[in-house]
Amino acid sequence: MQNIPRKSRSQLRRFGVGIVLAGLVVTAGACGSSGSTKTSDSKNAASTTAASGSSNAFDPAKFKDITATLKGSGSTFQQNYNLGAINVLEKALPNLKISYGGGGSGQGKSDLADGVVDFAGSDSLIKPENLSKYKSTVLYFPTVVAPITVSYDLDGVTGLKLDGPALAKIFSGKVTTWNDASIKALNPSAKLPADPITVCHRADASGTTTNFSKFLVAAGGTDWTLGSSDTIDWPTGTQGAQGNGGVAACIAKKSGAIGYVDFADAKAQKLTFASIKNASGSFVEASLKGASAAAAAAAVKDDLTYDPINATGADVYPITSPTWVLVSSTQKDANVAKGLGAFLTFLLTDGQDSSFTDSLDYAPIPKALATKALAQVDKIKAS
Amino acid sequence: MTTVRTPSPSVLPAHRTDGRNRARSGRRLDRAFSGLTLTAGLTILATLVGVVLATATFAWPAFRAGGIGFFTGTTWSSQTNTFGALPMIYGTVVTAVIAIILAVPASLGVALFLTEVCPRRLRGPIVALIDLLAAIPSVVFGLVGVLAFHNVFQTVFRAITGPKANGSSLLTAGIILAFMIIPIITSIPREGIATVPGHHREASYALGATRWEVLRTAILPAGSGGITGAVMLGLGRALGETIAVALVVGSAIQITPDITQPGTTMAEIIANRFNGEGMGIERNALMGLGVVLFMITIAVNVAARVVVNRAQRRNAGT
Amino acid sequence: MTDTALLPKPSTQPGFGPVLEPSQRTDVRAKTVSAGRRRTDKVATIALWCAVLAAVVPLGAVITVLVAKGFGVVNWHFLTSDIPSVTGQTTAACRDITPAFRAKYGINCSPPAPGMGPAIVGTLISTGLAAALAIPIGILGAVYCNEIGVRTRLASAIRFFADVMIGVPSIVMGMFIYTAWVVRFGTNGRSAFAAALALACLMLPIVLRSAEEMLRLVPDELRHANLALGGRPSQGVIRVVLPAALPGLISGSLLAVARAAGETAPVLFTIGVTLSLNTSPFGENTTLAQQIFSGAKSGLPLANQLAWGAAFTLVAIVFGLSALARFVASRSSKVQKG
Repeated sequence: MQNIPRKSRSQLRRFGVGIVLAGLVVTAGACGSSGSTKTSDSKNAASTTAASGSSNAFDPAKFKDITATLKGSGSTFQQNYNLGAINVLEKALPNLKISYGGGGSGQGKSDLADGVVDFAGSDSLIKPENLSKYKSTVLYFPTVVAPITVSYDLDGVTGLKLDGPALAKIFSGKVTTWNDASIKALNPSAKLPADPITVCHRADASGTTTNFSKFLVAAGGTDWTLGSSDTIDWPTGTQGAQGNGGVAACIAKKSGAIGYVDFADAKAQKLTFASIKNASGSFVEASLKGASAAAAAAAVKDDLTYDPINATGADVYPITSPTWVLVSSTQKDANVAKGLGAFLTFLLTDGQDSSFTDSLDYAPIPKALATKALAQVDKIKAS
Repeated sequence: MTTVRTPSPSVLPAHRTDGRNRARSGRRLDRAFSGLTLTAGLTILATLVGVVLATATFAWPAFRAGGIGFFTGTTWSSQTNTFGALPMIYGTVVTAVIAIILAVPASLGVALFLTEVCPRRLRGPIVALIDLLAAIPSVVFGLVGVLAFHNVFQTVFRAITGPKANGSSLLTAGIILAFMIIPIITSIPREGIATVPGHHREASYALGATRWEVLRTAILPAGSGGITGAVMLGLGRALGETIAVALVVGSAIQITPDITQPGTTMAEIIANRFNGEGMGIERNALMGLGVVLFMITIAVNVAARVVVNRAQRRNAGT
Repeated sequence: MTDTALLPKPSTQPGFGPVLEPSQRTDVRAKTVSAGRRRTDKVATIALWCAVLAAVVPLGAVITVLVAKGFGVVNWHFLTSDIPSVTGQTTAACRDITPAFRAKYGINCSPPAPGMGPAIVGTLISTGLAAALAIPIGILGAVYCNEIGVRTRLASAIRFFADVMIGVPSIVMGMFIYTAWVVRFGTNGRSAFAAALALACLMLPIVLRSAEEMLRLVPDELRHANLALGGRPSQGVIRVVLPAALPGLISGSLLAVARAAGETAPVLFTIGVTLSLNTSPFGENTTLAQQIFSGAKSGLPLANQLAWGAAFTLVAIVFGLSALARFVASRSSKVQKG
């Protein structure tokens, strides 16, 4: 107790080493779609991954002697996947303890900057002006992709179709009732009530918000003026909730509500979701297949960031979110460095088994990207 | 006070022989003991000074950047780094006021009921029950509010004000806060009312007053200080509550006169955003909100304490 | 935070309170009472009953809901097992994982069973540590204010600032410990100990003020007697005053502990999270209150179930502590009367 006041002059700011991370503005969709996707439910390919012998299989024996406790927090978008993966990995490596606290991508990034976690989950990149707050270079490890659903609760209305401009109008408060002309035009046969729309959004700083609003910037045209960020200055008449699970609960509890939720939470809470018009002009329902297609169509930067939002391709689900595990390249503790290596190696090898990711409602990242990410694991060094 | 605690004989100093050595060691013991207690007392001062300095220093950049706009601005945006606290101040005040409006009549009713109407046999159990309710953690009220009462509230609000009404709203937060502060507000006037001297009552009844007239003319005026103080303590609690409000208020940064719509409070946004993307100035600004909240609740609490103390002194004097 | 309801008070004073039982009061049906006054009295009585109902019904509803939803969840397994990670993965989805993968990692696809053991342990550790820090300092501080430095300016300053500190919102204490403590220790910063520091900051003024009230109840005659018998002032405090006030001190401290056990906001930024047992004060931990908060935010049935079970457990612990405090206090008042 007596120590606290003396320690009180502490400042959170840390002026770390200058960090160079090139090219944070990611442009998507510019490259042609490869269309032909492999991953989504190819169980045969998956079983070869899990079987020993394949170069991409995880070999627990190699990591058996690592004793470490890893702490993580951040994105609730990847939380279900991380928790599922940690469950599995801790069985194979009993000396490795991993916790993942959620809290939103914003919390993951700020916790990593404060140095209070070993890894962060984030679906959005670190803002360039915040880079100086990290002690060493932050490595991005892409892990899985999944759609961000536009979920809603409206009695008797299923299979709703929405496009960028309509979503932009709904989420910026320009359209306030369900029977508005802009929604009707897309759903001529649906029986839309005159009920008011309640928009459910994230209250915490969230990468899901960044990616969803990125889609509105890309596809919403002039109807979307609120930009893209972990937090948005939402118009009045909306409701906030914590975490993807919270937004899902918000939608489930209100007739007339609409919101953006990760696929896993939307499915787990049995929400109805809309089909979204993609850049190629077709309406696609949120699915892992559509997410894989989007990921395959996105160009990958040198730092392994990529942007599958509004990618082109007929099967592409346009609001597909990437997600990364963020790790500092320089680790103080050698055991933690090794533990992170084991964790990331698992995520990028057996953790990519599509039957496993499917069971948690995520799609694996494209094979080529996983290979690159796996190679990057060696860059984590103990100082 | 009225009762005197008699220590059992064994704890009284034994009839020990006195000696010079003992006197010297006794003085040393005295000094050591005083030093120890002084250190403990100073620790409390130091902790509070630490809290004030740490939070104020941390918040300073936001106050400096925002100036008076920090208190009057209506936009809270980490996109543009403009931080105006008015929506949070508005939500904090509105939820607390709703809570007070709902809780005061109910608590006062309970307090009067317990001291004036309730048969003496029932009083003990009911008092114990209410004091137990005061011990329920706020997160439990939040849990019940968001998982059990949300849909009930939403149905009722929608039936009254139309389909736009929301189960997560300023009103919901106010109601849940009212639940939380009823046991707190009940306890102090109960004390105050219980200490109204019996002859006041007897005199009124002897003059042929009805029960209501006794309450109005003899009991309430004498207990008014305690009641005011209790209300203000309840207000202080309602202003600073975080978790229960965070779960039910709907977390939307907006100023709306419609209390069936979502809103935000100072404590709520700190809980949601302190570990957020705005690692720089937004964090300073959130700490700034904490400082503002701190100041408001302290002002309310100190005022409450003064009122309660004065009332207690006056009642003790009669 | 303010909570005078939790501050122990002198037990109900038998000399005061209503002297007349309801049956002895003015009979409103008597002819001497006019119809108007009779009506007013009736309306007022009805209003009073309504107020009582308005207070009791919702509070009763809270308890009922809590018991209805939470009681069924709590059993021995719940109290002792690790917290399951809530992923939303269904058994059917799990069975779709390839047999090779399931065999390699020993996945049996049994649905996760609710458990709260680590949170119970975390709550006990963090509140226990907070109590160990705050209670001695608080009581010694109260001794200073009431026995050693009576009527000094410092004593009244301490008293005033303790009152001020009671008003500090608990979330501010959480931010304070996060910035002043947690970030200094990096990945070791979030721990039950850090949470205990925040909780101790909350408890300290409450313990001090309640202890002071208790010390004030000890009659001066005892102190004088000690001095007259040749005891040193410090001996008087240690051998006479503190033992005389002991039951009150214990019950006041227990109430402060009960209060801290249920706090969520100060723990939010300071304890981290864990799903498996951590019996050390260091390393990330979790508390029941934190688990209730995270379970309440979610819409997943398992998460909600965990939250209800945790809430029931927490309320049971808090009620237990309060009841113990009341028991100690009532014994002390019996001793007084005796």
